[in-house]
Amino acid sequence: MNWKPNPLFMLGLAIATAPIIAQAKIYVSVEQAQQILIPNKSLIKNPIIITDELQDKMRSASSIRHPFQGDRIWRAADGSWFIVDEVVGKHEMITYAVALNPSGAVTGIEILEYVESYGYEVAEANWRKQFLGKTAADPIKLNQDIQNIGGATLSCKHLTDGVKRVAVLYDIALKNQALSLKAK
Amino acid sequence: MKMTIKRLVAFSILLATALHFSFANAGEGAFGWIYTLDLQPKGKLEFEQRLQLNKQQAAGTYDAWTARTELEYGLTNDLQIAGYINSYYTSASQNYTNPEACGDSSSCTGGYGVPSSHDPATPYRKSGIEGGSLEAIYRLTNPVTSPVGVGLYLEPTWGRNKDEIEARLLLQSNFIDDRLVLAGNLVVANERLKFIENGNVPESMLDLLVGASYRFAPKWSAGVEARFHNDYSELNLHNQVQRATFVGPNMHYAAKDWWVTGAWRYQLKGGTCMGGGEAECSNARVWDSHSVNEFIVKVGFPLN
Repeated sequence: MNWKPNPLFMLGLAIATAPIIAQAKIYVSVEQAQQILIPNKSLIKNPIIITDELQDKMRSASSIRHPFQGDRIWRAADGSWFIVDEVVGKHEMITYAVALNPSGAVTGIEILEYVESYGYEVAEANWRKQFLGKTAADPIKLNQDIQNIGGATLSCKHLTDGVKRVAVLYDIALKNQALSLKAK
Repeated sequence: MKMTIKRLVAFSILLATALHFSFANAGEGAFGWIYTLDLQPKGKLEFEQRLQLNKQQAAGTYDAWTARTELEYGLTNDLQIAGYINSYYTSASQNYTNPEACGDSSSCTGGYGVPSSHDPATPYRKSGIEGGSLEAIYRLTNPVTSPVGVGLYLEPTWGRNKDEIEARLLLQSNFIDDRLVLAGNLVVANERLKFIENGNVPESMLDLLVGASYRFAPKWSAGVEARFHNDYSELNLHNQVQRATFVGPNMHYAAKDWWVTGAWRYQLKGGTCMGGGEAECSNARVWDSHSVNEFIVKVGFPLN
């Protein structure tokens, strides 16, 4: 094949596509999110091993295929939980935190990092507050008990599924841990 | 001012670069030629620049560049409209070898955009603004929330070389957290070719485009796409004259503020001509506007 790229074209393409210094848009740090979601309580890191069986159960409940990492889980003395997770966004990962009360109901979510062109609306308090009080027993499904935001559908869907799997994580793994801690 | 490919490319780059730095903000087009149902959200405007090169026919040289400078706008979250300016540059020389076209000569100059009045023994070179197109895409179901996304596409084109009305059925399914996209377009077009002497030659086309694209790393997607092409010498898919298959890879990079897609498709051997279209076939491939290799580069960035 005789492909002779036009130097002017190549130069222009290089300029047009040179990476702009696109800083990740970080809303809050993990520490800040902890203070917002579980204020004035000290949190102790409480990592858990995510077995294949647990991963499979969380996947079937939430439909998320991206694996859950068990090393970003914190617990408060009163039995509240603070969990950081990430889901697939349009171009990059979306990092978010979920707080659960001692009985596994969602008490708040925060978007930690969001680097997409569109769909910032998922960070708005009005959308996030739909999750308050939800437990693994709720559907936590987009267009069912969680309303979509037009133009931010992919982010809404993945975050909704993400909160579902965190709720399921509590139900399957964290609740038992809390019970065994109490028994001791 | 005489339009040359260098000026065309330079202008496109200047425009793209200027908008890139002044508005820096990304949309999407993970495939080279397949349309997906990833539309502009309501009220969002995106600039897109496409540059396609069709290169190499049966012999000699054949370079057909087409450029599209486009603005896309989300009228609602499910209805996107667009308008674009089309430019072209054709350089052909001794690119045909079929005796039906070349007579006693072993090769001759012909193909899409080369007027029938042109002396086939000499090279042909021309560039300019081809015309403009309008486009509307209506999304019936969204592949992010439905097993199969379905959309309808309509695009009228007015040009120096041809007028065309093109309709597409867009299909898309997403898998693996929406990172794997399978997409297909069924394309039907009616055309009036103007570069041939009598100035009003009807044609029609039926294409099936299928492809897959996988986001293998943050920001990066790669995949393959294929085109099953059928040309007809009359309107409304009557009297088929060509059949050809193209296949090739695509690569897509998307960041928050911009995206770029590059794709290449290669015409497989085994293409055939029939029904009076034999002059446009040789070496088991079909010509007309087609070539052995087709390249496309698209750059896009949101303006608001």
